[in-house]
Amino acid sequence: MVFILGVNFPERNLVKKSLESFFGIGNLTSTRLLARFHIHPTCKVGDLANKQVLDITAALSDMKIENDLRRQYLDNIKRLKETGTYRGRRHALGLPVRGQRTRSQVGLHPYLNISNYDTRGCWSTSLVDVVVGYYTKQEFY
Amino acid sequence: MVSSFCWSCLTRLPTAPRAILPPTLTAQRVAAFHSSTPLLAGAKKKGDLPVAKYRQAKSAKMKKKKPVERTRPPAVGERRALRKRIVLSNPNALEVEDMQDLSAENMVDARLRGSILGLPVPMLDQLRAVQAFKPKQGWSIFRRPGTVVRRETLELGRLIDGISAEEGENKGKVVRKIITGVKGSGKSVHMLQAMSMAFTKEWVVITVPEAQDLVIANTAYAPLSDENPNVYVQNDATAALLSRIVTANQKVLSKLTVSQPHPALKTAVKPGMTLEALAKPGIQDPAVAWSVFQALWTELTATAPAAGFEKGFKPRPPMLVTLDNLAHWMKETKYNNIDCKPIHAHDLVFVQHFLSLLKPSTEAGKPSLPNGGLILYATSGSNSPTVYGFEVALQQLAARQAGIKPSSPEFPQPDPYLNADKRVLAVFNDSASTKSPASKDRSLELQTIGGLTRDEAQGFMEYFARSGLLRENITDTWVGEKWSLAGGGVIGELEKLGRRLRVIA
Repeated sequence: MVFILGVNFPERNLVKKSLESFFGIGNLTSTRLLARFHIHPTCKVGDLANKQVLDITAALSDMKIENDLRRQYLDNIKRLKETGTYRGRRHALGLPVRGQRTRSQVGLHPYLNISNYDTRGCWSTSLVDVVVGYYTKQEFY
Repeated sequence: MVSSFCWSCLTRLPTAPRAILPPTLTAQRVAAFHSSTPLLAGAKKKGDLPVAKYRQAKSAKMKKKKPVERTRPPAVGERRALRKRIVLSNPNALEVEDMQDLSAENMVDARLRGSILGLPVPMLDQLRAVQAFKPKQGWSIFRRPGTVVRRETLELGRLIDGISAEEGENKGKVVRKIITGVKGSGKSVHMLQAMSMAFTKEWVVITVPEAQDLVIANTAYAPLSDENPNVYVQNDATAALLSRIVTANQKVLSKLTVSQPHPALKTAVKPGMTLEALAKPGIQDPAVAWSVFQALWTELTATAPAAGFEKGFKPRPPMLVTLDNLAHWMKETKYNNIDCKPIHAHDLVFVQHFLSLLKPSTEAGKPSLPNGGLILYATSGSNSPTVYGFEVALQQLAARQAGIKPSSPEFPQPDPYLNADKRVLAVFNDSASTKSPASKDRSLELQTIGGLTRDEAQGFMEYFARSGLLRENITDTWVGEKWSLAGGGVIGELEKLGRRLRVIA
């Protein structure tokens, strides 16, 4: 097991995949990180040298990822709501924000609207119930 | 009721023998309206349909599905091992009598042209160590591995014989060749023949069995040093190279001793240490592999001992350096540099080293292989990227060989709109145009391997017949037909024709 930014990764995992398991790191960022520390894309976590692990951890701790990033998302939405913008209102209502039609299919919007996303990274329970209830009634499943 | 008499001839129609059909069927035979297929399908076995018992309740309750037993996926590396497995012998094939083994005497024997020479059994381990065999070459259909002696093979044999001779004009010469040819024309096997000849002559054989492995970003890389951060070293690949060199050439390397001081190495180099012992630390610790390889290379190219190392110095043997699938080294790799831009293959120090051997002299102005040897770099017909610069470079090489001067208008020039890679063109231009400090060295040549001649093809097909694979009369006409079918004797295609199973009715 290798410790990267407080998370334990099994040695057989790919470094690239492991990096992408952090919220806010996708294909592009992980590729850049690997290139910066001269790690080849098929490298396994177990093959990393100690220095490389420390370098990666240092680089990750400088980046805005995981909870910081989630908080930023929520803050942005909060700002929209507080200033009373249209987008903010739509977020609060759980309706589509970007001008999609609401006549027929709005089912997933309350589910996907990020305002319902918890800071801990889970959906708030009550809302999930609402959504699931909505679909079961419609016999969606 | 339909009778089983034929009305036209009134003879009894042959019915199916009673033993095959169950007795109940014969009674129903006539009564059925439809043709016989459902009847012949056989009586229903018990358990095909659930038979409802008398007054049994039937519920709509679904039975719980049994959890499907999934077999475990094969262990890590098992599938790869199976894919890369090399089988060199087939006990079902017939032993071909009077097949000779390759030896120092018969590798220059022109009378053997068109026959098959077996690879000596003790050498197979060495050849396996340098990965001379490829999985799809069809070694597994014969009793033991052997190769055809064709015109190119005899030329190669004479060359290797001349370079390692005690006397003669070719002694200590260096020949550099790029081998091209269509798919299945035997480029890789030509290099295998070179390796086997080099092993019989006790040369040092250094191989890169697949150039692609170094550029697809599957092995670790790192900047060479702080001074030149734009050159990259691949430690694991170098360690693998050292391991190939040591296992295959152990007999030669264990006899040679260290002749130069190596201050770059961490381990102390004592006089009298064998080259095998010098190379071993590089295999165990990939971090030092590159410096160990450089040390080994200076030892193998040494012509005279340094002060303090004179004791027990033996002249170094010639070297054979082979490389397969050269085109992969002529383009950008899958590795990224620090700015996330692809690294060019020529920035890898491993690649640089092997490409520098194409030039007659090193940067310091010394001959690159002072003890003589042979450099064979082959292209591939099946897995090779299209690199425009490389294609032009090969055309230019061919033009030079045909005597066209670079200043003449017929000399092939790259299309300015197709962005030919200048670095690629430069490598081949430098290699072909610079004169060697050693007058014996030939500059870079292009060798195109084509098909077998008809005589050679006949010998090859006879080998199939004598191995029990082919049941045909090997006549001139038959061979001529197959020779044409194989695109003018392309040996890979001939092999396909020869191994195809024919059932004689």
